[in-house]
Amino acid sequence: MNTGQHKHMEDAQLVQDFRGGNHQAFNTLVTRWQNRIHHFAYRFFASSDDAAEITQKTFIKAYHKLDTLDDVEKFGSWLYTIANNLCLDELKRVGRKRATSYDALKAAPQTETATPADGTVLRNEGLVLLHKALLQLPVDQRMVVIMKEYEGLKFREIAEILGEPENTIKSRLYYGLSTLKKTFNSWNINKEVFDYE
Amino acid sequence: MNKETARLLFMDYLYDELEDEKKKELEEILAKNPELKKELDELSEVRSMISHLPVQDAAEQLVMVEPKKSGFKNWWQNLIEALLPLNSFTKAGFALASLVIVFVILGALTKMNITVNGEGFNLAFGEKQEIIQQGFTPRQVDYLLQQMKLENAHIVVEAVQAVQKDQADQLEKTLINFADYMEQQRQADLQIINSGLITMEKTYYNRFRKTDQVLGEIIQTVSTNN
Repeated sequence: MNTGQHKHMEDAQLVQDFRGGNHQAFNTLVTRWQNRIHHFAYRFFASSDDAAEITQKTFIKAYHKLDTLDDVEKFGSWLYTIANNLCLDELKRVGRKRATSYDALKAAPQTETATPADGTVLRNEGLVLLHKALLQLPVDQRMVVIMKEYEGLKFREIAEILGEPENTIKSRLYYGLSTLKKTFNSWNINKEVFDYE
Repeated sequence: MNKETARLLFMDYLYDELEDEKKKELEEILAKNPELKKELDELSEVRSMISHLPVQDAAEQLVMVEPKKSGFKNWWQNLIEALLPLNSFTKAGFALASLVIVFVILGALTKMNITVNGEGFNLAFGEKQEIIQQGFTPRQVDYLLQQMKLENAHIVVEAVQAVQKDQADQLEKTLINFADYMEQQRQADLQIINSGLITMEKTYYNRFRKTDQVLGEIIQTVSTNN
């Protein structure tokens, strides 16, 4: 069976095929999930290199551990669990400092001095600050914000991935969003900044 | 529903995971509480802002390359996988059957012999040996018993005699020791008496001498005075 034939198959079926010895099925899973895991890691670290490394490690680990997955229907959640753990490991390895002082992120701009003519510049700076604000969140809140806001996972799925009760997840998201609101207010960033295209 | 309960539903509401009934209930509360509504709007605005966060796709497509397996190893693994059952129940049965086969083969090689009788279970290896029963006749048994009785009687007599002799020896030895002791005691007493007599003799001799001496002096004194 080639990749084309795999295209419309469910993840669970692909996992079963891979377990049955069809190596190509795993490549289809990689194609299907690579960008999502990369986006997840990129938003967590704000670094393409780190995101690429986490993505690669995630799939290598998944390749070796796929036999241990009990419920093949939960492949996606399982993959996020691996990626999440690898992100946390990486964070421990390099330290929190690096994640919150990433070089690519600039200091907060003085938005009150900007003019509408500087709209595009303002927007770009705003986008950089968005990521900086996200990186300043505590890790557990950041993880929930990314999974919910960007990965579109259900609260139930996030709870399963992180091994926490659903109410804890909702609470972390609430505090995460509240903290972001305070950060944006202190940096004088509002939603109009992003209206420039 | 109070404000705190309403806040607990904010996240479900924002991400559209709230049941219709609860959603309606929350909206009624929000309509009555402008502050609560403002708080929710601000959170919604934060959502709207962070949704602009740009993201980068992976630079290159990952491809997992199948590890190359050696021909024989691959063939052997395929054979094992084909032969071995997948179901755990079947696996257990397969293992049990294998054990039985191994047991039978080993039994044949070692000429194992298992017998069960009223006395229990008997397991033996190697050629079976015929048990040859060679016993004594009743007459021989009687003769042997008589011989054993006689021997026992002799042994008992000898033992009694030995004990009696031993006791007589012991008694004789004790009497001799007692006689020796008495003789020593008598000698010691005689020596003490003899020593006493000699002392007494000396004492009386001295007294006689002194008496004679005194008498002599008295006589001499009387003669001198006359």
